[in-house]
Amino acid sequence: MKAAVLREANTPLEIEEVSISKPGPREVLVRPVAAGVCHSDLHFMDGSYPYALPTILGHESAGIVEEVGSDVTYVKKGDHVITCLSAFCGHCDQCITGHLSLCASPEVGRMPEEAPRLHKGDETIHQFLNLSSFAELMLIHEHALVKIREDMPMDRAALIGCSTTTGVGAVFHTAGVEPGSNVAVIGCGGVGLAAINGAAIAGAGMIIAVDMVDSKLELAKSLGATHTIDAGQCDAVGEVKELTQGGCHYTFEAIGLKATTEQAWQMLRPGGAATVIGMIPVGTMVELHGVDFLAEKKIQGSNMGSNRFRVDMPRFVDFYLNGKLHLDQMISKHIKLSEVNEALAALKTGQDARHVIMFDQ
Amino acid sequence: MAKVEIPSEVTGNVWKITASVGDTLAADDVIMILESMKMEIPVEAPEAGRLVELLVRVEDGVEEDQVVAVIET
Repeated sequence: MKAAVLREANTPLEIEEVSISKPGPREVLVRPVAAGVCHSDLHFMDGSYPYALPTILGHESAGIVEEVGSDVTYVKKGDHVITCLSAFCGHCDQCITGHLSLCASPEVGRMPEEAPRLHKGDETIHQFLNLSSFAELMLIHEHALVKIREDMPMDRAALIGCSTTTGVGAVFHTAGVEPGSNVAVIGCGGVGLAAINGAAIAGAGMIIAVDMVDSKLELAKSLGATHTIDAGQCDAVGEVKELTQGGCHYTFEAIGLKATTEQAWQMLRPGGAATVIGMIPVGTMVELHGVDFLAEKKIQGSNMGSNRFRVDMPRFVDFYLNGKLHLDQMISKHIKLSEVNEALAALKTGQDARHVIMFDQ
Repeated sequence: MAKVEIPSEVTGNVWKITASVGDTLAADDVIMILESMKMEIPVEAPEAGRLVELLVRVEDGVEEDQVVAVIET
């Protein structure tokens, strides 16, 4: 099969012929139909997050089941599915206590003594986040996918596989935004826009979008932002405090920077909660003014929207099909696998919402 | 000769050890792969040297900044 392989950080992905194993007892072979190109892929491509190489990037996809392992009963050949990196074992402490997205069990991948899922001759190709969706086939654990209804367009479904779940989930699950509360979202990429859409669905009062790109702020308005702030033109913290007369109940950082994480904290009203969704580079420290804790401010991380994706994703599909979740505007371009490097380069400019790879069927 | 301690950058588990004590390593050679929040994160030699100590075993948990290996340069 063809796949986009990362062999060295900060070099383009190479389209190569790669081999994929047959499904083990609890594995599923999926033929992706669509795969989103996400900013998180860029973090690994540019080395700000190290990863075992060579690897096939990509982690936001929807496809059709091609073959199932001998013990798999949840899906069958032909089922439409969304894949998710939050593969869960189902029996560790985190899973049993309801925190499936924090499952760290290695059993959803293959162990070092087993044949790798992906290889090129004798060379192991490391699977990215147990998925590797920039490829014509994916071999994944049965707990890394969810069945969806077949009237859901696959390119939209792919977005639910990561950015939608991460942004909407951060609002619904991690933060628990209440109707009427004021929300600010810093960063209007795919995840930030999903958080804005999620805040609108949750019934937030004021929804303030903060970014430095006009087109993204316009997009944010169409997804539910009630106010926009161009952080390149003003003091964003001061603007938020003035608009909300003292700060937000909830803020979301969706970029992954020290400065914007600290701004998310500063934008809070007493008792408010900041949720950091963005992937802050390894080794970066964040500074908070200690006295602010007297005001009962809270700060927390959110990984993949604290999801329970087997429940969440079908609901998000319904939200899209009944008009609440606006995914059409999120896709700026459909591309081929061979154009993935151009899509990653476009992400660096911050101009486009999302490129989606469409595979030939 | 100087000994260089190699810390883990993240909290996670040792998934695979790819080098052995006594191996001669070039800078950036992978010594082990950690698994942390679904990611396979390599621990690499920061400079060329000989691997003189491995301080963890497969499946061990490691903390951020914990020294996991030592090389002699």
